[in-house]
Amino acid sequence: MVALSDYLIFSAILFTLSMAGIFLNRKNVIILLMSIELMLLAVNTNLVAFSYFLNDISGQIFVFFILTVAAAEAAIGLAIIVLVFRNRKSINVDDLGSLKG
Amino acid sequence: MTFEQLIFYILAAIAVISSLMMISVNNPVKAALWLVLAFIATAGVWITAQAEFLGIVLILVYAGAVMVLFLFVVMMLDINLVKLKEGFIRYLPIGVLAALGIFALMYMVLGPNNFGMDVTGEPVRFDANHSNTTMIGLALYTVHVYAFILAAVLLLVGIVAAIALTIRRRPPHEVKYQNIDKQVKTQARDRFEMIKMQPVKEKPVENKKEEDE
Amino acid sequence: MLENYLPILVFVVLGVLFGVGPLLMSFVLAPNKPDAEKNSPYECGFEPFEDSRMKFDVRFYLVAILFIIFDLEIAFLFPWAIVLDEIGLFGLLSMAVFLSLLVVGFIYEWRKGALEWE
Repeated sequence: MVALSDYLIFSAILFTLSMAGIFLNRKNVIILLMSIELMLLAVNTNLVAFSYFLNDISGQIFVFFILTVAAAEAAIGLAIIVLVFRNRKSINVDDLGSLKG
Repeated sequence: MTFEQLIFYILAAIAVISSLMMISVNNPVKAALWLVLAFIATAGVWITAQAEFLGIVLILVYAGAVMVLFLFVVMMLDINLVKLKEGFIRYLPIGVLAALGIFALMYMVLGPNNFGMDVTGEPVRFDANHSNTTMIGLALYTVHVYAFILAAVLLLVGIVAAIALTIRRRPPHEVKYQNIDKQVKTQARDRFEMIKMQPVKEKPVENKKEEDE
Repeated sequence: MLENYLPILVFVVLGVLFGVGPLLMSFVLAPNKPDAEKNSPYECGFEPFEDSRMKFDVRFYLVAILFIIFDLEIAFLFPWAIVLDEIGLFGLLSMAVFLSLLVVGFIYEWRKGALEWE
């Protein structure tokens, strides 16, 4: 039987990997969005594991709502990327600094 | 090591390796495909934690729909791959350092000392006829009904925002749009008109004879 | 409960073996001597005019977004269909509100012309 700490460490590894992904792929907005999806997946794994060990279904319902939010977020985020690319011909994060003043 | 643990470790290793590949490959298309593999392996991990319905929803919605959306966007934008990768080496040390530091902190809190099997106790195992989907359904539509309705509002906002942001009608002189409502509603009398005319006798054509000859 | 998933596991393992096995065998066994000319794309003797990756139109993206939203809606319908007997009228009404909100979005996209292809 798998211990709770195994699930938690697995999700911690996924979380730190996606954080490193945000550090390393500073130029590519699409990979940044994918890293955020992976972070949400890690958090969801935590919730699923606690729901399993506490025998409480609420954790899984939270995960369901987080999946909904993440899908809507991906849809709108990618729409914004498409729009930015159409106007700027680039998805480099450094080129998107015009609000800096 | 039991069989279940073996499955868990294999799936977790697949997920970790594929997410490592995702953050390090050059090409966004390959990154998206590695992320799909990570999602599928994580869905397996969730199923080992008795969250069957969520594992299947993860494959259905994430591997099936969201990653297709990512692939579409990657295909839609033709991006200079070399330029996007610059800075990778420069940020590599600080990225690895930050990741290791945070992982060490997390391990101290989440490790076997605090959440090992002897601390948490064994989880409840359900028998073969237990339905995880029923459990979710019983709580979702009654106890959590407000969140459920809010999810609908969120999806509505998603639809409206995505359409309002991306739709672009080309000006009518470039493209001719078809108006199906108008086409269906058309009736015969809109298309031609019956005109009453007095019958007129035409003058005899003068050069007809010449033509005949 | 997990013992129900053993056939699925066997199926997945066999599927992966059947998919990866031939690829791996051809990678190991087949002769492989690449050079620059062999790997370059061949277009009737010309240099290729453009990148082989064609740009997609934005309208594909719109269709994919609408697919995601309605896919999630279906995912919310599955547990509801199973427990409808137990949650009764209240569950029916909550799903009615949920669906009517999404129908508003559907009408919006229809009126906006997002479903038309020109």
